[in-house]
Amino acid sequence: MGIDIKQLYKTFSLKELRKGLGVTGRQLFRKKTTIMYPEEKTPKSPRFRGLHALRRYPNGEERCIACKLCEAVCPALAITIDSEEREDGTRRTTRYDIDLFKCIYCGFCEEACPVDSIVLTDIHEFHMESNGERLIEKLDLLKIGDQFEAEISAARKQDAPYR
Amino acid sequence: MATIEVDGKTLEVEAGEMLIKATDKAGIYIPRFCYHDKLSVAANCRMCLVEVEKAPKPLPACATPIMDGMKVFTKSKLAREAQKGTMEFLLINHPLDCPVCDQGGECPLQDQALGYGKDESRFLERKRVVASHDIGPLVATEMTRCIHCTRCVRYGEEVAGIMEMGAPGRGEYTQIGTFLNQSVDSEVSGNMIDLCPVGALTSKPYRFAARSWELQSHASISPHDCVGTNINVQTLRDQVERVLPIENTEVNDCWIADRDRYSYEAVNSDQRLTVPMIRDGNPENDGGWREVNWESALKYAAAGLLTVIESSSGNHVGGLASASSTLEEFHLFQKLLQAMGSSNIDHRLQQLDFRDDSTASRFPISQLPIADFSNLDAGLLIGSNIRKEQPLLSLRLREATLKNQAQINVIGVMDYEMNFDLAQNIVSNPASLVNEIALLAVEVSKLKENDVPEQIALLASPNEQYNDTQHLAAISNIANQLCSKEQTMVTLGAIAQQHKDASVIRFIAQWICDITDARMVILPPANSVAGWVANCTPGEAGKNTVDMLAAKLKAYVLLGCEPELDHIDGQSAMNAMLAADFVLQISAFKSSNVMKYADVILPMAAFTEAAGTYVNCEGRVQKSSVAAPPKEESRPAWKILRVLGNFMEFSGFDQITLDDVTSEVSFENLSSPKGKTQENSDTTIHYHHTRGLQRISDTPMYRAEATLRNAKALQKTADNPPPAAGLNAKMMEKYGFSDSDLTLVVTTNGEGNTVLPIRLDNRVPNDCVYISAGHLETAPLGADTSVSLEKA
Amino acid sequence: MLSDTSLREIQHELSKYPADRRQSALMAALRIAQDEHGWLSEPLIEYVAGVIRVPPVRAYEVASFYSMYELKPVGRNKICVCTNISCMLRGSDEVVEHLNKRLGIGLGETTADGKVTLKEVECLAACAGAPMMQVNRDYFENLTPQSIDEILDSLS
Repeated sequence: MGIDIKQLYKTFSLKELRKGLGVTGRQLFRKKTTIMYPEEKTPKSPRFRGLHALRRYPNGEERCIACKLCEAVCPALAITIDSEEREDGTRRTTRYDIDLFKCIYCGFCEEACPVDSIVLTDIHEFHMESNGERLIEKLDLLKIGDQFEAEISAARKQDAPYR
Repeated sequence: MATIEVDGKTLEVEAGEMLIKATDKAGIYIPRFCYHDKLSVAANCRMCLVEVEKAPKPLPACATPIMDGMKVFTKSKLAREAQKGTMEFLLINHPLDCPVCDQGGECPLQDQALGYGKDESRFLERKRVVASHDIGPLVATEMTRCIHCTRCVRYGEEVAGIMEMGAPGRGEYTQIGTFLNQSVDSEVSGNMIDLCPVGALTSKPYRFAARSWELQSHASISPHDCVGTNINVQTLRDQVERVLPIENTEVNDCWIADRDRYSYEAVNSDQRLTVPMIRDGNPENDGGWREVNWESALKYAAAGLLTVIESSSGNHVGGLASASSTLEEFHLFQKLLQAMGSSNIDHRLQQLDFRDDSTASRFPISQLPIADFSNLDAGLLIGSNIRKEQPLLSLRLREATLKNQAQINVIGVMDYEMNFDLAQNIVSNPASLVNEIALLAVEVSKLKENDVPEQIALLASPNEQYNDTQHLAAISNIANQLCSKEQTMVTLGAIAQQHKDASVIRFIAQWICDITDARMVILPPANSVAGWVANCTPGEAGKNTVDMLAAKLKAYVLLGCEPELDHIDGQSAMNAMLAADFVLQISAFKSSNVMKYADVILPMAAFTEAAGTYVNCEGRVQKSSVAAPPKEESRPAWKILRVLGNFMEFSGFDQITLDDVTSEVSFENLSSPKGKTQENSDTTIHYHHTRGLQRISDTPMYRAEATLRNAKALQKTADNPPPAAGLNAKMMEKYGFSDSDLTLVVTTNGEGNTVLPIRLDNRVPNDCVYISAGHLETAPLGADTSVSLEKA
Repeated sequence: MLSDTSLREIQHELSKYPADRRQSALMAALRIAQDEHGWLSEPLIEYVAGVIRVPPVRAYEVASFYSMYELKPVGRNKICVCTNISCMLRGSDEVVEHLNKRLGIGLGETTADGKVTLKEVECLAACAGAPMMQVNRDYFENLTPQSIDEILDSLS
């Protein structure tokens, strides 16, 4: 085993250490990319797939017609729907449950929906404190829809040309 | 035979047959909407256009007869273009409401639009909109979706025999509907829903309940009549959502009756009994009734029965089983009663005359296979409203009249409307029904040059109505048909079997069959044949249903029945139950009447919730499967009976599976030869009519058992009118009544009376009044046959 | 519901067909009934169906198919204007316009005095004399505003 002169030079001149410190030095004066979550947030795509919501028409009528296509397409079997004839003769859900633990946020339900009722909002900051809360029911979903309708429709509008 | 070539494949087919039939058999797919195997060819949807060599234009495969050497292309450019063009036209006026349409997911139009439709519509004008009308409680309409295939119209006209739907208007303005938007009242109307290739006709009770793809199918048997209809019970998350037919050409073809289709509603109703209940007499509880767990209930039931047995004897216990029980239930029921030391076991709640129990055929099996009903040349229906009793057999008789020009005759007590043409229709009355049949026997004997037994000749002794030459000619015409035609039958319907002289009628009918080689057909209610197979009939010295009620026994065990409604003599049944020390009822439904007399009520599974064996009138053994788990605390009846046997510490109640129970039953009875007419039969006439009006009674088709009585939609149909006293116009005039007057009906022996509205009913013969059974309002009249009417 | 004369006529029509082809006489029977009552009410259709022994809905199908059967009350005189292609090319639009103006009613309407009902019909097979119209049972061809006025004046 002979002595490699080049290697010896590298070792004793601290070439690699200086190179590394150079990078550190350069970054020290660059603009910072770290954001101070949760005070600061990264921008999100209009296609972001977060918490579910059920939307209404502007006149307040719920959009969902209980066609059960979302239930059928859901690969995780997270959606459960019961339907019946409402008094006015229209087809409506009596139950619309999403199991948030089962959901894989693939967005197929939104794509299957013929009336743009079920949507995935860009809300991703939600938590549960007890096991039962993983089931999110029809009224909760409608409430989310009501609360974020402006954001939901803005996001759909923004993405519309690419659909 | 002809040789044709379809898409390069050579086929050997029947010449003259329609092309689509041949391609269907060969498994070559041709799209279609209006063509249906069981209906006539209409060729109005144009979807089945195919290219035929040397034909200038594409031809409809459903209306193109096969000729030798034909060369057909079903997928050529010309055929495809024609099919796509047709599809585009069909979709012009079809709404895009598949997401809310109940047909969505199982819709031929939806499926074929995928294969033959365009991605986008070129039609920019306004779509046609058609108003929908309410056509009854069973079928929902959405006529904008209609594509005018006229399957429903042809079904009514050809199969059901009552044309209710029509296609008024022309071209763009054609609208399928009923005359004056009347309701569809056919007893087999539900089949229109299956036939409709779009969502124009859908099931009303099923409306918006589920989607076809999420339903699970379970093969089962309908328990409601003796046909043994094959049904597909579909469930969603363990709840029955709908019932569809399973095609079985030997039994029900591809049809089912509305009774089979909609009775499932009872299974989901809130009238279900779900928890065992006992009456401990504690006044703090509601009527002394208390919900308990199974163990306490069974202990209480076993103790109650054992007390009666110990204090008197097992023969003071009577067992009444509903005719719609399964073979296994019948078997364990009679086994349990036998173990108690009782031979008072019976399931024949709709029978009054048991004189021929020891002499007649072992059980009421039909000597004519169901499939052969369609091939008859002539037949006689005695006291039968077959259209409402066995709707699917009636469809077969209709087929026979159309296909074979079969001569079907009726000797009955009411002028029931049939859905086929009758050769002779003799409307007698209950008092002279036996005489009419005896007269027929005499006519038959003349033709066959065979001496008629003296006792029959005596019954035929002419009275004033036989001076009527027209009447005699009709009878001898029937005799002539029975003697001369090849495939013939004599059928005894419900009215003949309920008659006070049913055994005499059976005796004469059997004699006629023996002489003429006609097939004897007895059509008993529901699963009665299984009751016979399982020996659920009175044992040696045992009492039949009528005797059991008359004897006022100390204890009764009721399996799935409510005797005050299910027994033909509701009044005696109610009295006997009230007088009993101990009554155990095993039932799937709550009943406030039963609560008045029962001591323990055990909840049993409904027919969709328990597996079991059914034996139909031709002796076909069929098994049903479990579609859904029993509701709440209810349990399959066979398990209840089996565990009750354990609680009473009887041996022989250690079956683990249903098959263990089935294997205990011997099917020997089924292969045993039919009974021979006994020369020494008792032919005394018990039907005596003294004064007043003769009461004609039948059980309306949707009142026959607890399941049907709790099926909401069926109860709203025209076949379930409220109880009334039906009189014909002449009698109304004679007694000075007008329609919907209230009348007090009193039996001539003065024992029963009730107040009923009068209804004009021209089916009722003179000097008779029609008062149906199966209603609480008519139960007080018992089985009495003479009544008088007073203005109330 | 129908006079004896009408019923006899219907029986005569029925006698033209075999006993099992009674439905063949349905169209004639409906015409006879319409001649007597002017139009076919639903009870009348049901009655005729009873006479012919076909389901009422079958008779209604026939009555609603042909434009010659009237399902609503009509005036004493019925004017049927053809607007199919030959007549249209020869000026049926003007004929209709003139009739509208003279009678003060649109197509499918009846004058207030019950004198005239105006109907638009499909081709009546008199293209050679287009434009044409049928008044009651008579054809009038090569119509001009003047000839229409004359025809209208002659109506009772």
